[in-house]
Amino acid sequence: MSEKEDAPKEIVGYRQQPGKLPFSRPGSGGKGKFSESTDQEMIPESQGGKLAQEWGPHRHDELISGRVVGKSTALVDSSWKVTGQAHYGDDVRLPGELIGRIVRSPHHYARVLSIDCTKALELPGVVAVATGDDAKNRFGVLPVTKDEHAMAVEKVRHAGDLVACVAAIDEATAREAERLIQVEYELIDPIHDMREGLEDSGEPIHDRGDYHIGESNVQKRVFQEFGDVEGMIENSVASHKKNWIFAGVNHAFTEPHAVVAHWDPTGRLTLYTPQQVPHYVHRALADVLEIPMHQINVHRTFVGGGFGGKSDPFPHEMCAAILARKSGKPVRITFDREEVYWVNRGRHPSRIEMNLHADDEGRICGIETDALIDGGAFASFGHVTTYYNGVLHTAPYEIGAFHYTGARVWTNKPASGAMRGHGAVNSRCAVEVGLDDLAEKLSVDPISLRLANLLPPHSATITGFRVTSIGMRECLERVREESGWNKKFRKLPLGKGIGIGCGFFISGSGLPIHWDPNKFPHATVHLKIDMDGGVTIHTGAADIGQGSDTVVAQSVAEVLGLPLDMIRVKSRDSDTSPVDLGSYSSRVTFMNANAAISAAMQIREELLDATVEITGAERSGLIIGDRRIFLKKDPAVGVSYLEALHKSQEDRGALVASGAYRTPPMGKMHKGAAAGLAPAYSFSAYVTEVSVDVETGQIKVDKVWAAHDCGKALNPLAVKGQIIGSCHMGMGQVLSEEMRYGRSGNLMNPDLLDYKIPSIHEMPEVIPIIVESNDPEGPFGAKEAGEGPLLPILPSVCNAVYDAIGIRTSELPMSPEKVHKMIEKRCREEEVSDPNNLPSPSLQHSSLQGVLENRAKEHRIRDKDRRLDEGRSDYHNGALFGLDPTIPPDEVDPRWSVRVTPEEEYLKSPRLAGSAWKHTERRHAEGQK
Amino acid sequence: MISNRHHGEPNAQRMGSIGRNVVQFRLPMLPPSDGVEWNAKVNDEEVSIIIESNAILLDVLRDRVGSLGTKRGCDMGTCGCCSVLINGEPRLSCLTLAVDTEQADITTVEGLADGHHLHPIQQTFAECGGSQCGFCTPGFLVVISALLSENSKPNDQEIKQAIEGNLCRCTGFQQIVDSVKAASDILVSGQAVSDSTLSKSDPHPGFGGD
Repeated sequence: MSEKEDAPKEIVGYRQQPGKLPFSRPGSGGKGKFSESTDQEMIPESQGGKLAQEWGPHRHDELISGRVVGKSTALVDSSWKVTGQAHYGDDVRLPGELIGRIVRSPHHYARVLSIDCTKALELPGVVAVATGDDAKNRFGVLPVTKDEHAMAVEKVRHAGDLVACVAAIDEATAREAERLIQVEYELIDPIHDMREGLEDSGEPIHDRGDYHIGESNVQKRVFQEFGDVEGMIENSVASHKKNWIFAGVNHAFTEPHAVVAHWDPTGRLTLYTPQQVPHYVHRALADVLEIPMHQINVHRTFVGGGFGGKSDPFPHEMCAAILARKSGKPVRITFDREEVYWVNRGRHPSRIEMNLHADDEGRICGIETDALIDGGAFASFGHVTTYYNGVLHTAPYEIGAFHYTGARVWTNKPASGAMRGHGAVNSRCAVEVGLDDLAEKLSVDPISLRLANLLPPHSATITGFRVTSIGMRECLERVREESGWNKKFRKLPLGKGIGIGCGFFISGSGLPIHWDPNKFPHATVHLKIDMDGGVTIHTGAADIGQGSDTVVAQSVAEVLGLPLDMIRVKSRDSDTSPVDLGSYSSRVTFMNANAAISAAMQIREELLDATVEITGAERSGLIIGDRRIFLKKDPAVGVSYLEALHKSQEDRGALVASGAYRTPPMGKMHKGAAAGLAPAYSFSAYVTEVSVDVETGQIKVDKVWAAHDCGKALNPLAVKGQIIGSCHMGMGQVLSEEMRYGRSGNLMNPDLLDYKIPSIHEMPEVIPIIVESNDPEGPFGAKEAGEGPLLPILPSVCNAVYDAIGIRTSELPMSPEKVHKMIEKRCREEEVSDPNNLPSPSLQHSSLQGVLENRAKEHRIRDKDRRLDEGRSDYHNGALFGLDPTIPPDEVDPRWSVRVTPEEEYLKSPRLAGSAWKHTERRHAEGQK
Repeated sequence: MISNRHHGEPNAQRMGSIGRNVVQFRLPMLPPSDGVEWNAKVNDEEVSIIIESNAILLDVLRDRVGSLGTKRGCDMGTCGCCSVLINGEPRLSCLTLAVDTEQADITTVEGLADGHHLHPIQQTFAECGGSQCGFCTPGFLVVISALLSENSKPNDQEIKQAIEGNLCRCTGFQQIVDSVKAASDILVSGQAVSDSTLSKSDPHPGFGGD
């Protein structure tokens, strides 16, 4: 080897083509002259390597070159971030920029009678003002519920709603001008309590015409019944019932919203914005500005945290574009922290009734959920959220019946929307706490109860979702073992507790939000490789810090056997990026990496063809290693990557390829069947240890064992980061975070001082445990890791608090004063005067424990067989209750048929959200007249 | 161009009447302030400009000096994104009057690296996952660099105390602490962080087969 290094002029391994002049080695000057030999530990067993595959082979195995997939990898854009050179929304500074400010409503609900901008326009330095009259077209993230305007048209719907905007030469002038714009309002009675939203109103917050539900503020209602609903109460031997109240929470990302709009001399608009979903902004801008989409370039800046809070098209983005159009200059709008709370889109404040039933065999024979969610003033993603509050807790357990009523109402608050764990977090918390209570009532271990009721891999849920890989059992077993559960549960002293919680989440949404044009792929990735050998990836996936650029770069590097420094990702401009639906629903790794792999596979084929042509080697024997393509059985026969590349570039220049991903057809046909459908699902189980100060009610989370099934960790460093970060965010919701509204509906804490996200001192030690269930459709087996990990932390903390002091909260966050009150109440019930003398919960197993353990053992074998058996038969939820697993139960048993509208009987005594069905849609009501 | 007058106007005044059914009341703007000369050293470069006497350091750094790496997260000292070093001490630039830093030595995130040789904490932040979205990163980095220059081998408690004023919404802090420890190892071992402009991998390596 050293001999070769000493002879730098020789082009080692390069076979000169006959008839061609020798040319110097392009791109030389590199550090390593020789490619690294393949690390067999990274090559899957199915390809003859040493990487164990307990979960069987994968369709992408043959693409593994052993480079980067599965290795902890620094984010490819991290150098920009650590040097302060990453430019976020407010860092885009264009020459001649103006500063935009927004005039916001001081009232909760009012008609805008007049807006007088004269004084503002007279102020020196003010260049343009705009009001609702400048943009009358509606927009919204979901095409079915476009109910937002750039600025108020006719009415303002919450305090902080946009009324007008102004652009001036500097911020001080803009703020002064904002003050000089005079608005005359006529007040309308606002509603703040979500329960009021269910009633008829003199002036509903929005008017949906014929489709309006009565005269109420119900924006969306859902009724669903699956399984043996009649039988669930009859068969139950233990039931849990709880009415929950969940406070609204905000994403509290560190970067406040900011946007820059610029119309260039050709009349095209470029919008610079920290967006999770640039494509929907692109569409909304076209609607609002009444110009074609091709006249707009949406440039995604670095995004300073999203978590769902930067995924709607926002009115301030429209305002910047309108002001820039009017003024002829670039306009920059940056929010104060307070304004972040006025646009909100955080997790819905919710009232959830959760009833669970278990039968004498410890099976979950029924789940009844009623979820009323407070949407605030606009629809946002709420249509979907309303479904998700129900359908996303129909797994991972096999259940006998599912009854769900959900309603989302408009109130005069900043709009709720999508936030990490969209729609699933609150109801999941209620389910998991309910299971803990059921276990308590049945005198069994709560982990055993869960292990004996899991759906097997490759099965269908009661709602008809196709679930593929499931690592739930492994997650539960790992956290039970690593936390020392059996030695601790119900055995810790008063004030110390341990609790379990699980999660289940979609990995990408099966249906894209926009259906047109028909069959458009969910994700598309373009590759371009010119003679320098570097690979340029064009993708529209929005890197919001989760590492999507990195995962796409890793996927391409892996397939082509290249080091990451040869890959560059261009994902910013809609002008150059193929359409991607954006970073939401935990879809990016699954869909975008799949598209990237498919594009890279085309290049790989070209390189292999070229290698055959140069070497004459047998194609089937060729493999790709580090920057080298060679015969597996005789590595001396082969070519360098660049040599093969140049061969395939002959007569045509740069190689280009396009790969796309679209989900397969799935699911059932009933109304709402598409909500919750995903090409794969993630699973997680957390065990949490807490200390509760029994005298003050202060809760401290001490340690979390967090197991998450992400299919395959493409970048373990990032997966762990997502798990720990999820714990942080979920801990905030369960312990301290709350958008606090006062008695007159005012938001009391629109800042990071009073809106309390956990600081480093509140953070426990988190032990991230990665479970890899090797999803058959995931890229290299991967599934999501961004949202699912948030779900289990809430219930595991709640359950640990019960283990510590025997109280079960029904209200989040569990602030010390609430916990203190509950402790006092328990003291009265137990008739002890000193809380330190309260009895700590204990557990004496019933005979059912053995039944559950045996069933879990059998199912463990069943599941292992199913995950490896390619010829496995179908398995539908219901088999645990004696039905034929291979036939959907609703097709054979009329009791299991699906119902999506309530019967008259139900409406006589509906639950809270269910009462939304008392109203008749206007179009039907008119028909009745 | 006059800029950033009255940046200190508290939000509470601006939105003070929200929700009350009365005509909105706002305080009149304060009279314009006088221009004063501001001399300071920012990242080892002498800066001498005319600023307004009530200008906030964060605004001066971002809008006048060009340190866009110094981030604005909350304007009220709650998030730590705007942290800079003033004479080596971590300070919140959003709560600092620029005139109070006359003749001071100011270090922002842009001043941590030595040319293309990153500060160890910059490198380990990338390698250990200390930075996800990256918006809070500059604030953490300057605070941690101050910690490490005083104490090259901080323990967990010392690290936590140093960064308790900085909020991060992505990482849950754990990988930030890991990054500090890794940076400390580099500092203690005396390794140098390599120049990022050096040649990287060769796309056309020879055959290294033995």
